[in-house]
Order: sequence, then structure tokens, then C-alpha cells
Amino acid sequence: MPFIELHARSAFSFLEGSSLPEELVSTCAALEMPAMALLDRDGLYGMPRFHMAAQKARIKAHVGAEITCTLLSPVILSGASGSSEPFAESKDLHPRQSAGGTGFPRSARNNNTVGLPAFCLPLLVASRAGYQNLCQLITRMKLRAAKGEGCAQVQDLEEFSSGLICLTGGTDGPLAAALRTGGIDAARRQVECLMYIFGSGNVYIEVQRHFHREEVARNRAAAELATSLHLPLLATNGVCYAQPQDRELCDALTAIRHHRTLATAGRLLARNAERHLKSPRAMLALFADHPEAVSHSLELSSRLEFALNDLGYQFPRYPVPDGETMDSFLRDRTWEGFHQRYGRATRDLQTRARRQIERELALIAKLKLAGYFLIVWDLVRFCREQNILAQGRGSAANSAVCYSLGTTAVDPIGMELLFERFLSEERGEWPDIDLDLPSGDEREKVIQYVYRRYGERGAAMTANVITYRNRMAAREMGKALGFDEDMLRKISSAVATWEFRDHNDALDRRLTDAGLDLSHPRLRKYHELCVAVQDIPRHLGQHSGGMVICQGQLDAVVPLEPASMPGRVVVQWDKEDCADLGIVKVDLLGLGMMTALKDSLQLIRDHYHEEVDLAHLPADDPVVYSALQTADTVGMFQIESRAQMSSLPRLMPRRFYDIVVQVAIIRPGPIVGQMVNPFIARRQGREEVTYPHPSLEPVLARTLGVPLFQEQLLRIAMIAANFTGGEAEELRRAMGFKRSQARMQEIETKLRAGMTRNGISPQAQEQIILSITSFALYGFPESHAASFALIAYASAYLKSHYLAAFTAALLNNQPMGFYSPATIVKDAQRHGLKVLPVDVTCSDWLCTLETVPGIQCPVPSKTSAPDGHKNIALRLGLRYVRGLREEAGQVLVRERTRAPFTSIDDLARRVPELRHSDLTTLAEIGALNSVASAQWPVGRDTKINSGIATHNSQLRHRRDALWQVQRATRPAGPLLNHLDEPDSSSPLSRMSDEERLVADFRGTGLTTGPHPVAYRRAWLNAMGIRRAIDLKQIPGGRRVRIGGCVIARQRPGTAKGFLFLSLEDETGVANAIVTPDVFHQNRLLLASEKFLAIEGILQNQDNVISIRAERVQPLFITRAETTSHDFH
Amino acid sequence: MLFGCIYVPNFSVAAVLRSEPELRPRPLALIHGKPPLEKIFAVNSLAESSGIGPGMTRAQAEICSSLVLRPRSALRETAAHAALLDAAQSFSPLIEDAAPDTILLDLTGSESLFGPPPVLAAGIAGRLSQFSLEGRVALASNLDAALLAARGFPGVTVIPAGQEAERLGPLPVEVLFAPATGDATTKDSATNSLLDTLDRWGVRSLRSLAALPEISLSERLGQRGLSLRRLARGLSQRTLAPFEPPVHFEEAVELEHPIVLLEPLSFLLNRLLEQLCERLSARALAAQELRLALELENFPASNQQPAIKNQPYFRRAVRLPLPMLDTRLFLKLLQLDLNAHPPGAPIVKVFLAADPAPPRPAQGSLFQPPAPEPEKLELTLARIRGLVGEQQTGSPHLLDTHRDGTFQMQPFEVSEPTPARKTSAQPSPDSASDIATPFPLTALRRFRPPLVAVITLENGQPARMHCDSLPAAGGEQACLVLWKAGPWRSSGDWWEHDAWARDEWDIALRNETRIAIYRLVHDLLNGGWFVEGTYD
Repeated sequence: MPFIELHARSAFSFLEGSSLPEELVSTCAALEMPAMALLDRDGLYGMPRFHMAAQKARIKAHVGAEITCTLLSPVILSGASGSSEPFAESKDLHPRQSAGGTGFPRSARNNNTVGLPAFCLPLLVASRAGYQNLCQLITRMKLRAAKGEGCAQVQDLEEFSSGLICLTGGTDGPLAAALRTGGIDAARRQVECLMYIFGSGNVYIEVQRHFHREEVARNRAAAELATSLHLPLLATNGVCYAQPQDRELCDALTAIRHHRTLATAGRLLARNAERHLKSPRAMLALFADHPEAVSHSLELSSRLEFALNDLGYQFPRYPVPDGETMDSFLRDRTWEGFHQRYGRATRDLQTRARRQIERELALIAKLKLAGYFLIVWDLVRFCREQNILAQGRGSAANSAVCYSLGTTAVDPIGMELLFERFLSEERGEWPDIDLDLPSGDEREKVIQYVYRRYGERGAAMTANVITYRNRMAAREMGKALGFDEDMLRKISSAVATWEFRDHNDALDRRLTDAGLDLSHPRLRKYHELCVAVQDIPRHLGQHSGGMVICQGQLDAVVPLEPASMPGRVVVQWDKEDCADLGIVKVDLLGLGMMTALKDSLQLIRDHYHEEVDLAHLPADDPVVYSALQTADTVGMFQIESRAQMSSLPRLMPRRFYDIVVQVAIIRPGPIVGQMVNPFIARRQGREEVTYPHPSLEPVLARTLGVPLFQEQLLRIAMIAANFTGGEAEELRRAMGFKRSQARMQEIETKLRAGMTRNGISPQAQEQIILSITSFALYGFPESHAASFALIAYASAYLKSHYLAAFTAALLNNQPMGFYSPATIVKDAQRHGLKVLPVDVTCSDWLCTLETVPGIQCPVPSKTSAPDGHKNIALRLGLRYVRGLREEAGQVLVRERTRAPFTSIDDLARRVPELRHSDLTTLAEIGALNSVASAQWPVGRDTKINSGIATHNSQLRHRRDALWQVQRATRPAGPLLNHLDEPDSSSPLSRMSDEERLVADFRGTGLTTGPHPVAYRRAWLNAMGIRRAIDLKQIPGGRRVRIGGCVIARQRPGTAKGFLFLSLEDETGVANAIVTPDVFHQNRLLLASEKFLAIEGILQNQDNVISIRAERVQPLFITRAETTSHDFH
Repeated sequence: MLFGCIYVPNFSVAAVLRSEPELRPRPLALIHGKPPLEKIFAVNSLAESSGIGPGMTRAQAEICSSLVLRPRSALRETAAHAALLDAAQSFSPLIEDAAPDTILLDLTGSESLFGPPPVLAAGIAGRLSQFSLEGRVALASNLDAALLAARGFPGVTVIPAGQEAERLGPLPVEVLFAPATGDATTKDSATNSLLDTLDRWGVRSLRSLAALPEISLSERLGQRGLSLRRLARGLSQRTLAPFEPPVHFEEAVELEHPIVLLEPLSFLLNRLLEQLCERLSARALAAQELRLALELENFPASNQQPAIKNQPYFRRAVRLPLPMLDTRLFLKLLQLDLNAHPPGAPIVKVFLAADPAPPRPAQGSLFQPPAPEPEKLELTLARIRGLVGEQQTGSPHLLDTHRDGTFQMQPFEVSEPTPARKTSAQPSPDSASDIATPFPLTALRRFRPPLVAVITLENGQPARMHCDSLPAAGGEQACLVLWKAGPWRSSGDWWEHDAWARDEWDIALRNETRIAIYRLVHDLLNGGWFVEGTYD
């Protein structure tokens, strides 16, 4: 007799289960169970993954959840109101009807449930109405309480009971709770209460057997109740994990949940390992005395008709004026935009665009997607009205309609982009439109607009499930095993690994490095737990920009819950889950560079007095391309990384499309697919342009026969293997979907068959398959690359022509990009920008521009610039002062505007928000040097202006300021507190260069003075260490030594264990390549030293210079805490 | 005025090397903490040069194959400290016990005995060597200058009067803040903040600190700043806080003829106890602990207890639950203890010491229920301990675990009655007692230790049982299991050495008169069957 498990938790019960839904499904399939129900705690978090996995395994996935409730009122529990009267009606077999809709007995409505134990009510979904009710029930209880709390009340259950089937639960269920509290009578009242709420036909008395003594009495009582109340018994196993061995992880998670160690958790842990999925045979043996309890599982399963592919989701309709339909309204908006976009285009382009737009509009109408386009158009319009930079990307950039509507900025017709990538008739899913917005407040404004427009229950953010990874796993499992804080710190720093991992990076090796002896049984268990907990969900976060919008009530489609950010609501699924279930999402992504571009434009307006329009930047600007060709790209969007820099001089971009290629080519997909070098060789004319098959020439001609973009691969599949548009889209999903290896293999078989039919040679097939499978790692669609290339070009243009404004904007939006602020500042200084240090007499919170006579700011040689450009310097803002709160910084600026500070004492008194540590840091970095004092400048040849020092005055030194700060921040007592103490001279000596460097890096993380290496140049010269700038003159193959500050370490997953190091000195950046052998010999040095000398052979490939490291030595340059951007 | 300071750097390592001098030429590290997570606490210079440092784990340190690991030993440190005090006291009766690793001496006037200061300092250093300690010695005309010099300069230092500021000038400011515990890692946050301020000012030596203007410094660092400045200038006027040896309550008697029997020993003990109690009473003190040391004739080497000055002693200690002063009670307790632990050899000397403590208040609370006199209770307990052993007495405390019947014996404590506390641990869902049950409760009478049984299984369930220790289940034919319930399965401590997993069965067997129900346990890890108890 078969059995179906109808009460199981997954790891998505967050620390209350230890198996992923996929593991439960595969075990269920192995046990030949035809169906299974997942009931996670207070949510449907794991349901999409459960549903998808079950679909694949051809298992029916039943939906349900365990709901935390305080159902019983004290009156009902005690029966004080008289058990005969209130429940006289509930004994009716159909109490809902007989109650006449008046609802629950008044005694239960008083909501006086304080002090009653909470329990879990298992609910199964029978119909779509039931699903909608369950979602709304969860949403109601979640939104009522703080994040992570909340429980359902009687009224909620009553309101949302239709379509749901209720079980009486296991140890933490309502039956057990009632038995504990009031014995069999209370249990009877409890079950009657459930029958009243859900209908007597929808309540099953649950029995579980885990070999516990306590269960015997409960099961006996349950059987008695089932008989007396004419309810069916249902056998379940209250599953918490798939296999018995998963119990250990479940115990560890329990300890973490209760903030205990395993040793002190005591009886909070499980008594045995019986809560695993059991076979029908085992369950039958277990319930040999109640075979009907097992067979009822089958009967109940057949009643559960609902599956997750029947969500009933609808995207909202866009309100249009009377007499218009959404299609007609969209058509009008599109043609309006067409005239702006293509008005000045060539006749040919116009014709092609017109044809494409008609085609797209027809398809949009056919698929009834006009509402979606209009909603996105509405968002972009809102951005435009609010002066917020917004640019669509993703597959939307393939659409001429999107381009005409202003949603995207790339002309898909001009660039011949593939429309099928965006929208296909065959696939039943929504198109993908992502909007890039400036990160921060402006993005928040757009998000709040969506909330306002579609209502609290109409829109929500998608979730981001935080899962255990190495570091968190090592830390929390260590805590569970009782390791002390010091040991935990040591272990978590040891398990931080590079992106690339080899056998030396296995977890056991890393733990051994941390000094753990894994032969000890406890530590061996620790290792096993760390491995087992990988990818297990820890808690729910919020996705940075994904929003889902719904026609009507979103909370009937997916449960909503509060996010930790006030005012935000988040759905219980992540964006992949939403996409799987056909819920459309709009990604409102915050892009730091967009904010930086916007800020640059404002600074240009204010200080250069020019108006720059990003939509109309001069195309093919020679200065921009000259910078790109020489890899002078620090700070530029997407083309600043080490790998980008080493390919730029080889690709030699000359036009916009080259940037599109550049953005797309340095990605794991093209790199692993071995597409980079052939493309470069062909571009340089060193290799002949060939095609895998002549039929592919039209697709690959633009990229010289090498596929670089996703669209090309899809087209190849369509041409070479006769894939339909829909099949090609399926291929794209498989490429972009991380849990899809098996899916990819199925498609590969289909591809091979198609190619063989078309007579494509086996070698060419291999090449094509390699290209396609590599893209599964991550590759760019052309439309996406084009959107990014636009931003890259804009950032390059602004950096080349308005360095001061661009650098200030970049610094004001950190952290972003590849380099630290210290490197950005040094790069700007090498380009001639004057960077001024933080100064409380003139710095604002943000970095600003100052007009300083006599300073020469660089101006691109090939352009003419107004004279105003030439004397602009960058002033570091107070935001760079470590530890200083923005509130204090803003008060300081406000007070300064009111009246200048006459002394440090005056500053400390007028800005009480500044703590002692803030003032000390300010003094130490020299930010107080120009604060004047009535007494101070006397005798120091200082120009006084009404007692206030001007910029021309002789400045005090940092230790003078430190000396004053120490006195200014000591409490003077109530009598003297209001008196302003003039600054007096200090007996302290000036800081040395080294001390200044240490103070600069400690206080701001960067220095505006000379590069640390510059102070030691003579010594480095004596050691034979070359400057970065000199390497250009040295022929390749020579042995050289380089040295400097490590600014980036990268060990990419695609580089077979090679480590790439960037060493910065006062002249620029030198790059070193470290082979895996050298890396392992010098692992500690390479990973931790701040300054390194590297000796090796110089390689110069098309002006890309790097040193192949053979020897590595630490260098002592300074004690300053310089930082490196390490990619772990 | 002449003052001296003895300072032993890396004291805990020095204490170990003192007792094991053969380790001096080898890299040595002291470990601290509970296995398997012990960490290095201190190392000698050889270990340091091999890359071993404090904070490393044992496994990391063991990479250095020649490294010798020793646990940090409080006993050795106490002994080394006592030796340090002895060394100092041999040069001056006026000494100050500044820290475990630091002793200050008032040497005024001792030049005539031991020679001029350089000779005197060398003499002290020589004495330390005799005591197997490597220390630094400094002499100066004021106490703090001597202290700073000993902490700052290696070997022997003599600072002539008037040259303190000049000589101390090069020392780093950190010497001013050496913690009193001798543990270099423990500095309070105020000290750290002060050191940080001085570092930011660029004031890193005593000379630069001494040069700061007095009033300005006091405006910035207050009195502490001024005091540090005075120290840096060698101007401290601190007086020595003489070290008073602890008050010892010890009595001893040497016998002309060795005693063999306990009775005459009791007579002697009574006398000694009377003397001790008299002394304690004179100081209004009571005894918290009695320590008895018996010097034995032909003391058997195998039985040797840790002894002072290598004398063969038999030692016993009686810890009292609260301070008491009752000669008869003490004598009885000692007699009971000696009955349970006889010395095993003739006694030639008797030492008796009492650890003093303030006596307990005599009057109890008005509403406190009458309890047995603590003295009588203690006596009774001592009798029981003598009969059943020390580990078997006390009050049992159930442990919070699923492991059946696990408890721990805790010593009885005399305490004020406290309101019942809530239990902190809530039972797991698995273990919750489900039913406020009307069912009758049964009691399990446990067999300790459980009885080994041989079980015949049918369909994986016990069908027959053979157990020699049970009359009903023994005999030639194994007893038929009439009725059974189970299994009840439990397992736990899977992360420890002693993981366990077991199945429990309740079985009914017929004995001569009636049907008895037993609890049968199957050890799932080791495979044995046991009868754990019977139900009443």
C-alpha cells in the first residue's frame, strides 16, 4: 500500500529543517512516493524550488505551511463557558453552514490569548482559493508583527479557512498543545474548534511515531478523538530532513537558533534521528495497528488539486484615457518616441525601424503585453520628471519599441540586435526589463513611487535568500561546538578563499591552516558540519532592486512579509523563483556609476559652468579612445579591471561598438570558451577570419567569426540546429540558470542532433558546443553589453574632459568599482589633478571642487577648454574622516557657515556632536591645521584677518592641533565650560613623513601627499627595483624587479590557479602574474603583505606589460595601513 | 636612600625553566586552555625565533618538531614567586611584593653589609641564579626609578642619585604601564587610550615625556599625566609598602617514638587543635579548612605526595562548608578522615594548619525553618563520605540531556532558602511531556549498574531473555517475554567521544509469584543488552 508524506519541513523553515527541497524530492522519488507535501514554517519560501524539482522528478508537489497560532482562548481551553453551549453547534458535521456566517463563538473572539502557548497548525492547500487564502493568512500575520515574528489569530483562520485542509500536527501541533494543557477534554474542544473553522471534512487527526514514549499516549488520545468525532486518522512523519544522517545538521541548526552550544542545548536537541523521509513500507510497518492512517494519506493527496503552476497571477493593467485601449495607447506613445529617436536617421534605418516596430507592436498586442510596456514607460517617465537618470538594460535593449519609448538608450535596429531574445511568441513568460538608476535616495524614490502607484499589496521587493557559505558556516558551526571568539575569528579568516580553488583550498586544508587538528573527533564533526551546511538557507534578505507588481492582490499570489528596512515589503521568493513561476519583475537596480555620472554633471554645471548632456555626447571622441587604447581607465565603468586593462591595448577600441565588445569579452563565458585570444588575433589581422559553418557567417561576421554574445549563440542554435525562437529562449534560460547542468545536457543532445541533420562537421559541432556551454558560466547579451558600453563611454568621456568633477563624484559614491579611493586619488594626481586634504575650514561632507588660482588642472590636448578648467582642485570631504558620523559633519559645516571657528576649543564647544575621537582624527590628518586662534599666529609670521587665519597664513602642524584637542575635549567644569580658550603653542615636534603617512591612512584611508613608495625611492633604486613607468622601455624577456603597494589581488575562477597582483608606485601600476607553484610557495606573503617586491621575466604583449613572478619578497615601506582590493 | 628592584621577564616560562632547567637550550612553549582548543600562552626566546608565538593553537605550534610544550603551571609560578621573595628577603627585611614577577627592596644602609651598590646588585643577581631564576636587577635612589630601570634595561643596572632622568630617558613609555599581574596582555582601556594619545603626540620615550610642560600636561592628561611625568623624570617620592607575610596558623609536634595507632594520634591532634582554636579565637577568626601533614617513617615512595623541601609527608585536608571553631568537631572530622585514609606508616612528626576566615553570623532568620546544626550535618556527611566515598555523596542534579538517568553529584551547600527558579532550558518538542495525564505514574526501580542480559530476538523484537542476576530470568531456560512495548529510541552527544544510541523496551516476564515488568536497553553502538530496572 503506498504512502504519501504530507507533513515535511525543508531547510526553508530557516534553522528548523536541514534538507533542501531538492533533496527531499530526490529522496521522495527514490522511495517511490508519487507525491509529497512541503509545509515550511510560516511561509512558502521553499515552495517554488520544491515545485520545480518535483515537476522534474514527476512527483506531485502539494503546497502547505505550518502556521504559528495562538488559537485557543482561555475560555475554550478551560471550558468555563460550558462545553455544551458554545460547541453545541460545532458538533454539527457542517458547522459553517449552521453558524449562519456569524462566525466563531464570542468567547473565542475576545482575542485574549496572552500567555497561551503558541503552536504550529499544519495547513494543506486543496484548491487555488485555498492557496490564495494561505498566502493572505501568512501575509496578514507577518505584516502585523516585526520581522521574524507574528502569529495567526482565531479571526485570521476563520477568514482564510476556505480551501485549506487542517492537520492536528505532531509534538508542536494544536492537539499536543491542548493535551499538554488540559488533557483529553481540552484536546477534544481544540479539535472541535478546528472542525468549526475548517469544516469537519477538512480536519485530519494526525499521528506520528518517532519511537518516543510520550507519543504513545498522544496517539492513543488521537485515535480516540478520531473515532468519537468521526474524523480520519492520518499518518505522517513530521519530517525535518531527508536522510537520518541529516539529523546532526538539524541539531546544530537548533543550537544556533536557540543561541546555545550543542553541549548546552540539552533537551532542545532532537531525541533521535527518526524525522527523516520514510518509505511507504516502513510507514506501514510503523502503523500496522492503524493501516487506515496510512491509506488516508493517499486519499488526502488526491483531494489536493492545487499545484504551483496555477498561481493565477496577472500583471496590472495600465489605466488609459477613455476611448483608448492599452494597445492603441502604447502604439501612440511608441510612434511619438519614434520621431524623436529616428527622426534624424537615414531613410534606410527609418524604414527598418518602422518595420521592426510594427512587428513588435503586433506581437505585443498578440501576447497582451501592452500593459507591461506602459508600466515600465510610466516608470521611466516618472524618472525623467524627477530628473533621475534611468536607463533600461537587459533584453529590453533588443526592442525597438523600448528604444522609442525611451526605456532604453541603445538603438537595436542600428546595432542589429535580436528581438527574439527579448520577446518570443513561443515561451510563456514575461519579457525582462531592468532599469539602472542612481543608487541611494533616487532609487528609493522610484521604489516608493511603485509602492504608491500599485498599493501596499500590489507591489513588493523580491527576496534574497541568504545561505550558508564558507565563512558563515565556519563561524556558526564553531559557535555551536563551543569554540571561543578568538578561535572563531581565526577560523573565519582562514576559510576566506579566493574565487579559484584547488585541492589546497579545500575546507579541511583551510581548517588545518587555522591550527585545528582534524583527527580529533569533535573537530572532524565540525568539518563535516561545515560541509553539510553549505547552501542551506540562513535567513531571508531583500533583493537590492527586484520588484514584483501584480494586478489585484499580490498577497494572494505569494506571501508578503516586512523587510528590515522600514516601509519595505518583501515577497517570500527570490527573483529566480519568481521568474520560474512566471511572475514578472522589474529590476530597479542601483548603479553607483549612474549616481556618479549624475553628480559629475552637477559639479560640471557648478564649477565648469557647462551643460553636458549624456544622451548627446560627442561620438568617437579621440581623447576618450586614446585613453582606452592605453588602458588608462582607472575609475571608468566596467573597463577598469585588471583583466580589462590588459586587453584594451590589444583590442585598440576605435569606435563605440568596440567598447560593446570590450565590455562583453572579459567575462567568464568568453574566457573559458577560449574566445578572447582568437578574437584579438583576428582583430589584429594575425589570424584568418573563419566560420564554423558558412551558414553562420551572417551571425558572426560582426565579431570576426567568434561568438561573443548570448544572442549570437542563440542565433547559431537557430541556424545550425534549427532551434525555434522558443527553444533558443529555453537555451538562454539554461545558460543563465545556475541550477541547470542537467537541463544544459538535454539541450546539448538536441543541439548535436540538429547540427548533424544540417551536415555540420563534428569539429565545428564541438566548437559550437564549447562556446554555448561556456556561456552557461556567465556571458553578456549584446543588448546588455551595449547598455553598459554607453555608461562606460560616458564615464570615460567625463574622466577625460572633466577629471576633477568626475573624480569628486567617484569619491563621493564609494564604495564602487575595482579600486580603492586611495588608488583613485593617486591616479587622478598622476593625471595632474590637485587633490587637497580634508580641512574643517573648507571641506564639506562630500568632496567638492575649489577654484584655486595658480593650479593647473589637466586639459585634454585635443580639445579646447575654457580657462575656468585650469584652476580647479578637488577638496576631500569630511566623509573620508574615519569614524566621523554624517550628522556631526553636517553640523560642523553648518556652524562654520554661521561663523568661522576661532580656535579648536571654539570648534569643540560649538559642535558638541564631535567626539573626542573625531577631533583627534581630524587633528591627526591635518584637518584642523588651518583653524585659527587669536593667539596662535602671533610670532609665526601669520597673516591675520580679524583674528582668523586665511589660507595664506602659516599653518600650524598636526601635533599642535592634537595638543589643543586634548585640552579642548577635557571637561573644564561648569564654571569655565562656556569660556573659549585660545590655542596655545605646543611643545610637540612635527610629524615625520612616515608618521604623516600612518596618520593619513589611519584617518582617511588615503593620502593626498606623495605616494608612500616615493619616500623610499632611493632605497628601492639601490635594490634594483624599477618604477612602473619605466617598464615600457624594457624589452620583453628581460628579468626585472618591481615593487610597490599591493592594490589588488585576484585569483579568478577562470585562471587555473594563477594569481594576478597589481603593485602601485608613485608612477603608476605594475602588474604581476603569479603561477600556482609560486603562489603556494609564498601563499602567506602574497595574501597578507602590503608591500611586495617581485622579480621575474617581463612580458610585453602588444604593449600589455606584466611580470611573470619567480621570486616574491616583502618590502618594508611604511607602517601605514594601505588597503588592497582582494577578490575572494 | 637606596632602593632595588628584581624583575623576572617572561615569568611563567621562567617558573617552568626553574623546575626543569634541562629545557633551557630547547624551544619551549606554555599552553593554556581546554583540549582540543588549547593555545600558546607564552614562549621562550628560542621558540620565538622558530616562529612560535602566543595565541597559536597547539596544532600550529607542533609543526616545530623540536618544540617542548608544557602546560602553564600555577603551582610552579607560586613556587617561583616564593623563591623570588626568599631571594629578596636575604638582602633586606623591607621588601614589597609588587607583582608575581617584580619585588622591590629597601636597601638603605645595606652597603655596609653587602658592599657598594654595583657589588650589591651583582650579589642579588647571583642569588637569583642560585635560585634558578634569570632576573633583572636595578638599584636607584628612588623606588620607581629602580622599578622602571629593572623593567627597561637587561641585566644589572645601577643609577647614581641625580642621574635618574638622564638614565631613564631612552626607555619607551610602555615601561610606565607594565601591568601589575605580570601578564603583558592585560591593560585596561584607560591605559591603552593614554598610550595611544602619547603615541599620537610622538611622545615615545621617557625623555620626551619628561620634557612636556607641567601645567599644559596637567590640562590635558590631568593628575595621571603629571604622575607619569614625575616618574619619567625619576622624581617619584613613593614609599615602599612593606610586604607582610601571611598570617599562618600552624602547629607541629615532633615525636620521640613513632606512632602507629590512630588513638594516640588523636590525643596529639586534640592538643594541637586546642592550640590552633585558641589562636584563631584570639583573633576572632574561625577555620575554613584544616590541613594535616604527617611526616612518616620509611614513607613508601609510591605513595609520595607533593612535599615541601623533599620531606616525606602524608597530607590530608578537611574543607569545611562554612567557617567553624569547634575543637571536638574538628577532631572527629580528622579521625573520620584518617579512618577512611590511613597514613600507612608510623608517624614521626605532625603538622596541623588552619586556614582562617571570619566566623559565620550566629543568628539565623526568624522565619527560616529549623535545620540541622551545620556542624552536626558536616559530621554526619563526613561519616557517610568515609563509608561510600567522596564522589558518591552530595545532592544529585539531573543533567539537561536526553541521556536516560544522567545526573551529577554536587556537594551540599549551606545556603539561604531561595525562591524556586525557572528552569532555563525548555525541553525540545520531542521530549515534551504531552499530556497532563490522568494515567497513573509508574516508578522505575533502577539497577545500578544495569544487568547484562542475553536476548533472543524474533522479528527484530525481544522474545526471550536470560539474565543471571534476575531470579526470574535466570536458570536453565531463558524466560519468555510475555508482553513488550517499544522500542523507544534515543541517541545523542554525536559530536563527542562518548556518543550514544539506544533502544529501550518494556518487557513483562513471569517470575515465581507474579508478572514483573522490566526496562530492557539495547546499546545500538556497542551491541549489548541490559536490564536497566524494574517497574514497581
